[in-house]
Amino acid sequence: MTGSLLLIPPGVLADFDSDVFFRSLFSDLFIQPTLLVIAITLIAQTTGIILGFPLALGRISKNRLIRLPVDAYLYVFRGTPLLLQVLFLSDGLALLFNNPVILDPISHNAVIAGTLALTLNEAAYMTEIIRSGLEAIDPGQIDAARALGMTPWQINRRIIIPQTMRIALPPTVNEYINMSKNTSLLTVISVNEILATAGRQYSANYRVFEILSVAALWYLLITTILTLLQKQVERRFGERQEAAVRPNFARRMFTGFRGGGGAGTEAH
Amino acid sequence: MAQENPIVHAVDVHKRFGHLEVLKGVSMDVTRGQVVVIMGPSGGGKSTFLRCLNHLEKIESGTIEVNGHAIGYRTTSGGRLVEESAKVVARQRADIGMVFQRFNLFPHMTVLDNITLAPMMVRGTGRDDARKRAMELLESVGLPQKAEEYPARLSGGQQQRVAIARALAMDPTVMLFDEPTSALDPELVGEVLETMKRLATENHMTMVCVTHEVGFAREVADRAVLIDGGVIVEDAPPDRFFNDPQHQRTQQFLSKIL
Repeated sequence: MTGSLLLIPPGVLADFDSDVFFRSLFSDLFIQPTLLVIAITLIAQTTGIILGFPLALGRISKNRLIRLPVDAYLYVFRGTPLLLQVLFLSDGLALLFNNPVILDPISHNAVIAGTLALTLNEAAYMTEIIRSGLEAIDPGQIDAARALGMTPWQINRRIIIPQTMRIALPPTVNEYINMSKNTSLLTVISVNEILATAGRQYSANYRVFEILSVAALWYLLITTILTLLQKQVERRFGERQEAAVRPNFARRMFTGFRGGGGAGTEAH
Repeated sequence: MAQENPIVHAVDVHKRFGHLEVLKGVSMDVTRGQVVVIMGPSGGGKSTFLRCLNHLEKIESGTIEVNGHAIGYRTTSGGRLVEESAKVVARQRADIGMVFQRFNLFPHMTVLDNITLAPMMVRGTGRDDARKRAMELLESVGLPQKAEEYPARLSGGQQQRVAIARALAMDPTVMLFDEPTSALDPELVGEVLETMKRLATENHMTMVCVTHEVGFAREVADRAVLIDGGVIVEDAPPDRFFNDPQHQRTQQFLSKIL
């Protein structure tokens, strides 16, 4: 089999069963798994963003007692494979504590365990994206707000958070796209998502290539919708600050996108 | 100067960044309606001193009073300085206007929102009143047609005029200018200086300006001050400051910029 790969004998491609392909493409087989993938993506990513905010503030804190635990969290969750984290939460954690009732939702429900693993992992990446957004804010912005008599809380709410969100938005939308693909890892803890459904199907009919192609199309559908959404978001928020106040600010914002988005994409 | 209480009253201000002593005992009084121009070589401490006046920088020792109120600190019975809470300092800063070299307009807000933000949030001014006042100020800096624009669409000179309007919207008792024209293209300097001149001559605003604009100093300032090496070297009416400086360091400095 492996030896013949280079040659591609004519019979191999002829073996593509288009009948099986189209039948499973237009069956309702993948509809529920796709909805599940979308639901897990939205929940895990959104929760990851929400957790990322306080973690980012902790990461830039001057207080070591706050900063060090956050650093340790990022070290572990960015330094180990996501697949390992999924298995650890779903299968390992309850065993470690000798199956306490409180962990039942995780050990008995793969969807919950998987979503939780994706969330905790994503929170680590969102922390870095939000941190780079926070650090990209021109200190002059804070000077100006302070000089106007605004309190730290008012400055956070009206100056820092809105500007950080603008800087962090493009890489964050990118994270939604990554997340939708990472849900496929939950196949190992038998969550009924797209890839697991495909696996079950082709182990029954042996049409591996056809079924995986159909699964690929469903993923492409999800990522295409998210990409269109991303373009929309970028157009909407790019317009107002296309030539930001000053070149320095624009440059920092640009590195904000690239640094944050890049870091997230690579390591996943 | 001795009769009336000064608007700005700074006594023996010391400030250090780590091991570097930036201000080595600076004292300065500014009376109501006075325009003081501060000059000096970069790194001499002039901008730092200005930033101490509204507590954007902490000080090690000394006193800073604006309008008779100590800024940033209260003094214990033992004479030690204790920093006020952020909330108290914020309230103190509300009466002190400041304009920055880099304008520092808020890029995510329109020009109008930039100006109305602080009056509404800090003073609790109603939206309609704040907008009305903002439009008057935009009128006075010559930019009423830019109210709904975002700062990115404005030239540097226009941004700085908006920044002046934004500071004035708080009805400050004193305005601090930190090199307001240094970041501008040469052809845009004039419009900002013109706005500042009108503020001084027509509104009789008390102003402390760190700037190297000699023309502005000669024409508008009541006093020109040279700060170098963390101390005030020369403090004189502009005429004497530029034509007959008493100190050698002032002469050296002027020979470089004139």
